[in-house]
Amino acid sequence: MTHQAADSTTVLSVPGRAPGSVRRSWETIRDLPAPYLLATAVLAIHLLVALTGPLWAPFDPVKLSAGPPFTSPSPDHLFGTDNFGRDVFSRVVHGERVVLLLAFSASGLAVLVGASLGVILAYLRNWVDESAMRVVDLLLTIPPLILSLLLLSALGSGYVIMISTVAFFFALRVLTVIRAAALNVVTEDFVTAARLRGESAWSVARREVLPNVMSTVLVEFSLRTGYAVLFIGGLSFLGFGAAPPTPEWGLMISEARPYVTNAPWIVLAPSLALASLVVSLSLFTEAISEALGLGSSRVRDV
Amino acid sequence: MRYVLRLVLPRVLLAIITLVVVSATIFWAVELLPGDAATRLLGQGATAERVTAMREVLKLDQPPLQRYVGWLSGFVRGDWGESLVSALPSSIASAGGRQSRPVADLVLPRLSNTMILAAAALILYVPLSLILGLVTAIYRDRKLVSWLSALVLVGTAIPEFVIGIVLLLVFSVTLQWFPPLSLIDDAQSFTQLLSMLVLPAVTLTLAMTAYAVRMMQTSVMAVMESDYVRLATLKGLSRRRVIWRHVLPNAIGPALRVTVLNLAWLIGGVVLVEVIFSFPGLGRQLIDSIKLLDTPVIEAIAMILAAVYIIANLGADLIAGFLNPRLRTG
Repeated sequence: MTHQAADSTTVLSVPGRAPGSVRRSWETIRDLPAPYLLATAVLAIHLLVALTGPLWAPFDPVKLSAGPPFTSPSPDHLFGTDNFGRDVFSRVVHGERVVLLLAFSASGLAVLVGASLGVILAYLRNWVDESAMRVVDLLLTIPPLILSLLLLSALGSGYVIMISTVAFFFALRVLTVIRAAALNVVTEDFVTAARLRGESAWSVARREVLPNVMSTVLVEFSLRTGYAVLFIGGLSFLGFGAAPPTPEWGLMISEARPYVTNAPWIVLAPSLALASLVVSLSLFTEAISEALGLGSSRVRDV
Repeated sequence: MRYVLRLVLPRVLLAIITLVVVSATIFWAVELLPGDAATRLLGQGATAERVTAMREVLKLDQPPLQRYVGWLSGFVRGDWGESLVSALPSSIASAGGRQSRPVADLVLPRLSNTMILAAAALILYVPLSLILGLVTAIYRDRKLVSWLSALVLVGTAIPEFVIGIVLLLVFSVTLQWFPPLSLIDDAQSFTQLLSMLVLPAVTLTLAMTAYAVRMMQTSVMAVMESDYVRLATLKGLSRRRVIWRHVLPNAIGPALRVTVLNLAWLIGGVVLVEVIFSFPGLGRQLIDSIKLLDTPVIEAIAMILAAVYIIANLGADLIAGFLNPRLRTG
């Protein structure tokens, strides 16, 4: 209810602009409640660590015997050392880049493919769209985790294969969301006007439709990145993702599981890193979705 | 009646087609696993003749399509084949035949363990999500409740294997209330079984509940802003009566749909949780079998899990269809 009200005022105050455009949102983000701001700050720290971490991490993440094995947290080893004497803090810091790179690649690919196909199908609105959506409906009811496990063990668990598999399952979901958003736009008068002006389909899709679904695309990207962190972390945890000795967090958690009784810090450090990343991403998604006037309740589907 | 048919038939048909597509994908993926079943069974040192003979026994000499149809019809009829791993190489050498264990004997006990776990999680989940969803929606102006909502939002984002590990650290390692491994097949008594079930069930419940509370909250809030609830309030009905007679019945539909969707989602969660707690269920067996390349077991478990997922999604779809009056007319 409130979202609709906010939308209509937006339309009134900025004539000629579709509701939920990107440029106006920064002001709205500024006025969000504290938890969202905190989450945004935490997310910024995560990104900073991913960018600069390897420059200042005290130890090589795969170096054995950086200290005695199972050293508890101390000034020398902030998060202690693991069963091989590797510095857990350095591994978590280096892992940030791995985790985010994998998640961004998967969600980026999914959004690129899903959004393009979604806009094209919404623009077509003919039998191609109809039959493509039948196929998508069918593919959506395939259990992602089970099939990913099988495909990854069959095709080998390289990063390219893993990212493509995850992106495939996510792209289906992105496609349905973007297509629905684009369907609302293609029936607008300004799209019809552009068509009547004789603009090419490509130009209408790029200049009229895409800018108006851009906010949905952004929210999808943020949302899917969070899911990708979870999904890839889960795959690695089960032994189907990153390969040892990569400092990927899901893998680190599963490798540390046997030592949870006598050296809990080995498992706790990557767990907290993973949890804080996903929580901050999720709150951030909530925040930008609110700021762009798209509402917040959505169905979890992975 | 015609409406019911028009609602149910296409969806059931789609579910069946999906099952066939999924079964083909599972079969194809399993085919791609390195090595073939005959060499895996006989070991690296087997002679070429032995391998050829075994390939014939396992029908590996037939074309893939024929084997797929044979496997699928066998699966539907309850003949799931034999496990490759439980057959002992020495007995094959001595008897010339195969000392084997039917897949069903291996999988069915695991299936019932997983069902026990899922049932325990659902028993906790339903009242918890209903009550929390209602309370956070009705008293959303109070400070405590807004914190509770924030906590729920955070809860939806934390992966179940992190929840599981943290619960394990706190309640099993530090407080030592529950055993760290949930080997329920070795449970000596019912209380021991219960204490082994608590941590995995609570992990699953927490991962599901956060999301369901969120949905319940949204749907209760939407109903409370509706005209008929406003009318009921203006008519002078007591708050309790409005909530029990008008809000709850109308909000429960979407919540029910979310519960069924959660069941589908539980499939993925169950794999992770079973691995964390070494729970002898389907999920952990699937991971173990993939690592051992025990193809008949992989196929059977993947099919069972996929079927549950697809049927749960179908159920959620049908519930949504029956609840939407706009679909009912015309």
